Amino acid sequence: MPRRNIMVIGSGPIIIGQAAEFDYAGVQACRALREEGHRVVLVNSNPATIMTDPEVADAVYLEPLTVPSVEAIIARERPDALLPTLGGQTGLNLAVELFEAGVLERYGVELLGTPVDTIQLAEDRERFKAKMLEIGEPVAESEIVTEVEQGLAFAARVGYPLVVRPAYTLGGTGGGVVYDEEELRERLDAGLNASLIHQALLETSLLGWKEIEYEVLRDGADNCIIVCNMENIDPVGVHTGDSVVVAPSQTLSDREYQMLRTSSINVIRALNVQGGCNIQFALHPTKSEYAIIEVNPRVSRSSALASKATGYPIAKISTRIALGQTLDQIPNPVTGVTKAAYEPTLDYVVVKFPRWPFDKFPLADTQLGTQMKSTGEAMGIGRTFKSAFMKTVRGLDLKREMLTGGEYLEWSDAELDAIVARPTHERLFAIAEMLRRAGPAGRDAAIERIHASSTIDRFWLHELAEIVAAETSGDPRAARRAIEPGDPSFRMVDTAAAEFPAKSPYYYLSHGEMNEMRPTPSDAVIVVGSGPIRIGQGIEFDYSCVHAAWALKAAGASPVVINNNPETVSTDFDISDALVFEPPGADEVEATYRATNAKGVMLAFGGQTAINLASELSERGVRIIGSDRASLDMAEDRAQFEAALQRLGVARPEGKAATSFREARVFARELGFPVLVRPSFVLGGRAMEIIYNEGQLASYAESAPPILPGAPLLVDKYLKGLEVEVDAVFDGDDILIPGIFEHVERAGIHSGDSISVYPTQTVSEEMTRRIVEVTTAIAQELRIRGLINIQFVIHDGALYIIEANPRASRTVPIIQKATGVNMVAAATRIALGEKLRDMEYGTGLIPRTPYVVVKVPVFSFSKMRGVETILGPEMKSTGEVLGIDESFAGALRKGFIGAGVRLPGSGGRILVSIADEEKHEAMPVLRRYADLGHTLVATPGTRAALEAAGIPCEAINKIAAGSPHVLDVIHARKVDLVINDAKGPREISDNYRIRRAAVESGIACLTSLDTAKALVTALETVPGPPRSLQEYRNGARA
Amino acid sequence: MTTPAALFLADGSRFEGTGLSHRGIAFGEAVFYTGMTGYEEALTDPSYAGQILTFTYPMIGNYGISGEAAQYPRACVAGAVIKEIAHHPSHHLAKTDLPSWLDAQRIPTLVGADTRAITIALREHGTIWAALAVGEEALERAERELAAFVRTASTKDLVPSVAARERHVEGAQGGKRITLVDCGVKRAILRELTALGSEVTVVPYDTSADALLADDPDAIFISPGPGDPTDLPETIETLRALLGRKPLFGICLGHQLLALACGAKTYKLPYGHRGGNQPVKDLVNDEVLVTAHNHGYAVDTRSLPADLEPTMTNLNDGTNEGFRHRTLPIAAVQFHPEASPGPFDARRLFAEWLDAVR
Repeated sequence: MPRRNIMVIGSGPIIIGQAAEFDYAGVQACRALREEGHRVVLVNSNPATIMTDPEVADAVYLEPLTVPSVEAIIARERPDALLPTLGGQTGLNLAVELFEAGVLERYGVELLGTPVDTIQLAEDRERFKAKMLEIGEPVAESEIVTEVEQGLAFAARVGYPLVVRPAYTLGGTGGGVVYDEEELRERLDAGLNASLIHQALLETSLLGWKEIEYEVLRDGADNCIIVCNMENIDPVGVHTGDSVVVAPSQTLSDREYQMLRTSSINVIRALNVQGGCNIQFALHPTKSEYAIIEVNPRVSRSSALASKATGYPIAKISTRIALGQTLDQIPNPVTGVTKAAYEPTLDYVVVKFPRWPFDKFPLADTQLGTQMKSTGEAMGIGRTFKSAFMKTVRGLDLKREMLTGGEYLEWSDAELDAIVARPTHERLFAIAEMLRRAGPAGRDAAIERIHASSTIDRFWLHELAEIVAAETSGDPRAARRAIEPGDPSFRMVDTAAAEFPAKSPYYYLSHGEMNEMRPTPSDAVIVVGSGPIRIGQGIEFDYSCVHAAWALKAAGASPVVINNNPETVSTDFDISDALVFEPPGADEVEATYRATNAKGVMLAFGGQTAINLASELSERGVRIIGSDRASLDMAEDRAQFEAALQRLGVARPEGKAATSFREARVFARELGFPVLVRPSFVLGGRAMEIIYNEGQLASYAESAPPILPGAPLLVDKYLKGLEVEVDAVFDGDDILIPGIFEHVERAGIHSGDSISVYPTQTVSEEMTRRIVEVTTAIAQELRIRGLINIQFVIHDGALYIIEANPRASRTVPIIQKATGVNMVAAATRIALGEKLRDMEYGTGLIPRTPYVVVKVPVFSFSKMRGVETILGPEMKSTGEVLGIDESFAGALRKGFIGAGVRLPGSGGRILVSIADEEKHEAMPVLRRYADLGHTLVATPGTRAALEAAGIPCEAINKIAAGSPHVLDVIHARKVDLVINDAKGPREISDNYRIRRAAVESGIACLTSLDTAKALVTALETVPGPPRSLQEYRNGARA
Repeated sequence: MTTPAALFLADGSRFEGTGLSHRGIAFGEAVFYTGMTGYEEALTDPSYAGQILTFTYPMIGNYGISGEAAQYPRACVAGAVIKEIAHHPSHHLAKTDLPSWLDAQRIPTLVGADTRAITIALREHGTIWAALAVGEEALERAERELAAFVRTASTKDLVPSVAARERHVEGAQGGKRITLVDCGVKRAILRELTALGSEVTVVPYDTSADALLADDPDAIFISPGPGDPTDLPETIETLRALLGRKPLFGICLGHQLLALACGAKTYKLPYGHRGGNQPVKDLVNDEVLVTAHNHGYAVDTRSLPADLEPTMTNLNDGTNEGFRHRTLPIAAVQFHPEASPGPFDARRLFAEWLDAVR
């Protein structure tokens, strides 16, 4: 085939429903295209991904995923073809929009793989249903509605409960099960608004049926194979992304398995899918009847799971199919001898357990339904379900080693019953507690009761009961030994149940069996991964782990990756010389260390999860390379860290460690309010708050986690200054600082939720020198050998340090991408004993680039009913995008657009409510909006301030003053933007309701004046044309 | 209280675990089945007669025993090896649980063994004679008796042990009249044929050509069955006598017997094909079929005489999966289009073959 110019669209920022799985899929796609000799043009706004590295594609565009933006790139790059099915729902929707807008035709771009008509058919519920009926495949009784009234009429005919499924959304946004008219009205209105085409499907509920998924591949010659099937433990009613899923199915007879397999093939053929496809079925629990729930004609979260569960690389093979190859021609990458036309067979069991962000969001509605709420997942592979399941429980990083115990011991029977009947994220734990209370004698009766109320198949309940029985001693290790006795033994994932010898170095742990770990090609070095994606520990750490593995290979060592996140690039067995798919825990790391006879273990890339293993591994005699345990402890231990700062003469906001809330109050009085409080040893600012008075401190004490011995509550003076962040590499002699970020929002908003800018825009040269000096001194003092991330505040011209982390950070991928300095590789080589001065990266602070990059956080608030959206010290964002431009304002504008902020067009209407303490500062900012021709709509207090400042505005009632009030204009979408910075996150106030209404109506809501200022700056500018990362870099060098 | 049990391979290797309640010893060829479902069909498949079957999938018995999935009135395997057996199955069709059924069927069963290690051993060594012993007494004599068994072991008695002894008729009158030469047929084959309206006369494998022709059937099917096709020289002779006189269709062992009757050769595969995921290229329709397999022998494609044309080939190892006669209505496939257990990608063959008759 001649070399073609092929565009790949990525999935954009990580949001609930669309996570790292598309980085994994996209990287495989780009590699497959380039292996075939094609030139790849990649568009993706997400900078934390491997796929946006310039090594992965020939031209990488970190640009917004919108029609105008991608059209401009197409006009420049003139691709021959577009591959639309690897970038999740975002990529798929964008491809359809480009097609419908005539862009593809205008530029002669061919769509590869599954045709547009198929994509439209699968997404258009009405056409899909008609097609299924035409080929004789059963679907639930349903009706397509575009108006709420139509839905009510359908409900009057068929009754409740009903399922609402909006068309063209991802992760089931806006969908759900409704039990009465009021719920239907509310849910359907939201669902129609969330739908790209204002359409939703109402269907009779299949609640209680088994939910089964098939991953199917079909090529252009009509060959079909099933890669994997999966069974959800949670019956229909809980989104599959929020379900505990098992591969392969366990409770289906061969007849049922084959019935659904045959149906899958009928469906994929009728739809003319070319590539990967996910089909979801409902299977009646007592009748062997089924109904098709939905079809995703693209790679998906489930296909990533199926790939990791079987070893079969669905995205890679889908890409080759899109290029016109057939399954019987493509070699099987796992065995190297057989063909891709092969259905994997497993000799182990795979379990996926979702990771939810509810620990971050006290107000969130934790009920599970058809709207996905989890941010990530852990996968476990074991020789039995019990073994695999317990690996996921341990691997969620919830600090739970067992299914039983902990807070559930305190729950009343009634509380447990309630959760079992209407599921939340805690349902399986509640079931375990019920089984524990029932004891061996009452077990069968309890299983019947739980089955009756939850409709969970008895098979799973018996399995859970056996786990509960194994945990009777209360000792996690004894429980694990009871489930799987013997010494650790590594087994292979080979797609073939050992029928053929496999090449892929993909392992999991069993016990008491044959050990299949083969020697690595050279000295093994272990890279410990970061586990499931959750708020505060996202895809960025996977990025660093992958680069560490690559750097090890380049240095002649053999990388061995340990991780349990099925969505990621790091758990692609192509990345390392050995992949151990296990929770990144001390036992697993130690077993791998001994089995591979490794030279050392690197913890700095796997986020806090990996760092937390340092002391335990050291005590077991495992050699940590790079920064060692002493450095890690020093950075974590406040007393040691403060002592180090004192030695260096570096200031930090005055603060104390309180061992009780009473002591915290005393300290707060001494320091003076506002103060910043947080428990020590936390991740992502959990339970961190700015406290302005004693009343707030008292209410904090009521809801915060208890203060434990050895983990005091930290109380710091809060300085509202400019936040600056540095990522550096230190080798003991020299330091390398690729660049310094400054935040748009002043201190008080978590760095993960702030807009941040490289290079710095307002930091003086003198202050920059000081930052470099202090960074070097801290790295020296902490005896860092590798990466360090430091956050500073500049307040009244003085530099304060907030925290130092001896590890990779959220900003590492961005700075690497912006500057081209591979600091992860440098850190890895330092761990292997090299010196910076012998490397090619340079030392000291690297000169600024002439272009500007702006990271804009992205939130998933629309998926989380009830969550307070105001930003603070606790992290809430799930992902981020990057804007790149010649100017700061241009980069900001691209960043906002990429983050999905719908910029108000000329003559937009902006609803403003400003906190009293910020009104003075707000007026110049709001004047700029007015000057751009926008109309300000203000609540009474803000209106008074605006009028006093001579800024024209319209009035709007507060809620209490009656309709038409603020919520009415939001719901009616009579405003284009909401600026609401009023604090008081603990109360359900007017302001909270305004912010939620904006989220639910799809209107951007800014909660910080600093963000509002940045946005108006963006609105005032016209950004430059798109350019690829490679062009920016080359220009920078010239 | 657990009963010790072990699998002994003739090369001296030993794999330990526990047994079910039934104590005893089984001798036979050790083989493995890679399907993740379909244990009831496999355990009752006559082609597994005389074999000790290891399930590569580790959790077996989850949906119990329905009776409806059975391919034969009783279990046909000599012994079974399972990593984890389900004592609490859950399925609306389940009549009993697998361990109780295996005990009732008096099948020596090894549970908790490292089935993957056994599979690797069989893959590397090839199919091998073995003993499966349950209980102290059986364990004590297993190795000695295995050595004796190996000296005299043969597959010759396997077809007679499972094939019909009397002729009988299945299906309704009025459709195509099929005679099925039974070497150990599965229920699913009869189900497929009768579902298409055929009247199927099942006759013993050693029925003579004259007797077969006396019925004047529309076509003759040769069933699957256990063991080595060259163990049945009389059946091969019978088929040779039928060439050109009746449409002939073969499945699995029937495929091998027809090939031999036409002058081709068969050989023993290193460790056979047993599972539901074998990709087969249909050379006539240029498509891939995922198929069910259960065979230890194969037809040598290079030995096919000029009037036989290969129609199907295995994408994993290139073995012959089907042939047809260039001029006569004779066709056969190595895999199982009736599935059960396994996928139904090739189910259409039954209708195609019947359509080709008269």
